[in-house]
Amino acid sequence: MPATQMPSGPAARFLSSSADRAERLSGRTLGLIIATAILFAALALLSQSFLSAYTMFVVSRQTAFYVLVALAQAFVLVIGQMSLAVGAIGSITTIVLGLCLDTWGLPPALAVLIALGVGALAGWLNGTLITRLKIDSFIVTLSMMFIFMGLRSGISGGSPYKVPESFSFIGQKSLLGVPYVFLLVLALLGGVGYMYRNTVFGRRMLATGGNAAAARLSGISTDRMVVSAHVLSGVFAALAAVLWASKLGSAAPETGDDWLIISFAVAIIGGTGLNGGIISALGILMGSAIFMLIKHGLVEVKANPYYANSFLGLLILLAIVVDRVREIYSNKQKEK
Amino acid sequence: MLELRGLSKRFPGVQALDGVSLSFAPGEIHALVGENGAGKSTLIKIVTGLCRPDAGEVLFGGRPLRFQSYHDSLAQGIDIVSQEIQVIPESTIAENIMLDKMITRGRTGIIDWPAVNRVARDYLDRVGLALPPDTIIKRLSAAHKQLVQIAKALASEARVLLLDEPTSSLTEHEARNLFGLLRGLRDKGATIIFVSHKFEEVLALCDRVSVLRDGHLVGTRRTSELTRAGLVTMMIGRDVIQAHLGRLGVDGGPEMLRVERVTRAGRIEEASFILRQGEILGFYGLVGAGRTELARILIGEDRPDAGAIYVRGDKADIRSVADGLERYRIGYVTENRKEEGLLLASPISTNVTIAVWPRLANRLTRFISRVKETRITRDMIRDLDIRATGPFQRTEDLSGGNQQKICISKWLAADCDILIVDEPTVGVDIGAKEQIHQLLWDLAKRRGKAIILISSDMPEIVRVASRILVFRDRRIAGEIDGVDDGTKTYAEVSAAIGRYLN
Repeated sequence: MPATQMPSGPAARFLSSSADRAERLSGRTLGLIIATAILFAALALLSQSFLSAYTMFVVSRQTAFYVLVALAQAFVLVIGQMSLAVGAIGSITTIVLGLCLDTWGLPPALAVLIALGVGALAGWLNGTLITRLKIDSFIVTLSMMFIFMGLRSGISGGSPYKVPESFSFIGQKSLLGVPYVFLLVLALLGGVGYMYRNTVFGRRMLATGGNAAAARLSGISTDRMVVSAHVLSGVFAALAAVLWASKLGSAAPETGDDWLIISFAVAIIGGTGLNGGIISALGILMGSAIFMLIKHGLVEVKANPYYANSFLGLLILLAIVVDRVREIYSNKQKEK
Repeated sequence: MLELRGLSKRFPGVQALDGVSLSFAPGEIHALVGENGAGKSTLIKIVTGLCRPDAGEVLFGGRPLRFQSYHDSLAQGIDIVSQEIQVIPESTIAENIMLDKMITRGRTGIIDWPAVNRVARDYLDRVGLALPPDTIIKRLSAAHKQLVQIAKALASEARVLLLDEPTSSLTEHEARNLFGLLRGLRDKGATIIFVSHKFEEVLALCDRVSVLRDGHLVGTRRTSELTRAGLVTMMIGRDVIQAHLGRLGVDGGPEMLRVERVTRAGRIEEASFILRQGEILGFYGLVGAGRTELARILIGEDRPDAGAIYVRGDKADIRSVADGLERYRIGYVTENRKEEGLLLASPISTNVTIAVWPRLANRLTRFISRVKETRITRDMIRDLDIRATGPFQRTEDLSGGNQQKICISKWLAADCDILIVDEPTVGVDIGAKEQIHQLLWDLAKRRGKAIILISSDMPEIVRVASRILVFRDRRIAGEIDGVDDGTKTYAEVSAAIGRYLN
């Protein structure tokens, strides 16, 4: 059997945010980077407006939102579970944010803290139900999704809340042409990658996803890891919701309606293992960029927008097939 | 009947098989033995079509076989009962046995359940499993699942039957019954290939034995011409001393663990014992007799219904494995390392240090030091003689014995002074087994660890333990003292164990 040496040096370290399975991940991530570069070049050649400051601003900002939503899913995928409530948590926090800012007139900073707190609470509720009642994450988060969605509609009645002018700063402005949202997300993404690779907490979450029984019998409180992962997921969904409201300039109740599919799609394209234990921060960034560029490209080539979802579905399938082919190929290599 | 000619197979870095030629005759039970990594698994994989040889061929009834898949080998009349139990847990015994030959009502495709159950009943009778054919598999014990697998192989009417460690979860009675069955098949002209680590079985049951070592065929002998010692020598190329490893002598040592009338309904009843520093306390008994069940309470994985546990003299309330590790320094080497012991896809370093990450982390940032992690792993690889290419090799790629050493090293890294080791040498070759015995003994003797050794391997427990508790029907049936002091022979100790068991 070949020795799987960990790559060394700063470059390799950034490529493989997962402490384990480094070799395969960096190969996969490299593939994603190349795919992103090809898509980017193709779009630049295809459309004269693509490289304009405005398009770059819009594309990078949207990519950042995809990253946040995908991370909210990836945190949970890493421990071997899933969350169907990512979008619903985004939705309910948007309502809470609207209530704080519009109905109660609280200062924006406090409103944001409360919204993030609600996201954390929703995630904690998911994780606690899963671990205490020993119910599958699919069923728990499915139920919670409906509960949150119902609360959202009931409380808001479907109409958006106003947010103050000052609140829109972070979602609409940029630093030297780079949206604040994008900068913030890059920093968070770096932090997440580092966490999984280098911290006790991150390694324990990866171990829980890799083999929950072995992790527990090695003295890791796997229940605590599960709850933590769901809390992180809730906080990131809430953060995405807050930034989205800032971008829109209003707290719209329909926020989060399309996040469920996006969160899975981007996380999977970005190389997050569906069985737990594998995540790549850089992969998720590239997955988000690919997702965004293809959406943008479909508009550029004037594809019938009614078919857009089919293309995205094909993209997810392609990502999984490529991964599977890679796996079969590497097994063949081993046998030789 | 089945002939192998010059089989060779190379994996990266290992010549798994090197020009092995062997022939299996109809009407014989032919044992295949060898240490882990000797090439047995590769040979089985080639015969059953799971892997293709680089060179050589397999002849079946004089014709060369070209298997594309496992299904092809089945179609040719070669069936295997594998070591890992492969059954469909949610379906019935009858469905598992009849899976590929369901009886239907005419050509309707509708299954004729009464007929299926009737035929299955027949095979169950033959393996001596007195359970209704419509019992759901997941309610069965491991031994019974194993018997279902054997019944399934019988049902396939295979002309060549390969059994890979078939008795590992069977009781003696069940094993004897199986042997009778196999002799019956042999007398009807079937070829039976029997892979086993248990020499007594091999010598008692088989007609001929072929020994593999490092991918080569050492030789094929008639078992009637061979002794146990001779077989072992063929296998490892040297003689093994089977005496007790030596006196541990801890009669007055400090008490590490005291268990008083610990009970958990349906698992263990009123267990009481004392474990002292520097001793190895053996837990002997059959699977399900309460040994592992008691261990899981001691490490905090399960809670007792009644009774008290004292660690170092103080009453303990062990709430979880994490709690047992942090507050009481209790470590547990699990019974099945692949399912519950290791992160197989992760590097060795992860598995060695998983229990001590908090100690390797910077107090402020909580970042784990790669340097310390690598150093600890390298130390363990050296101290425990783990055969690996380096600290970051994938754990999955190591042999069973080396994986087991990693399981033990996890608790050494965590500096546990109470160590519970559950069936440490199952599926481990004899060389590594020897090393693991020596390692456990050294840990007790030289480093003062208090060790509980759970084992169903009588020679092992008599050889390593200083005291033995015999478990039967969820109770501690008896205790044998002074196993290590040289006053009792193996025969005496094993006879004493036998008395408590009955």
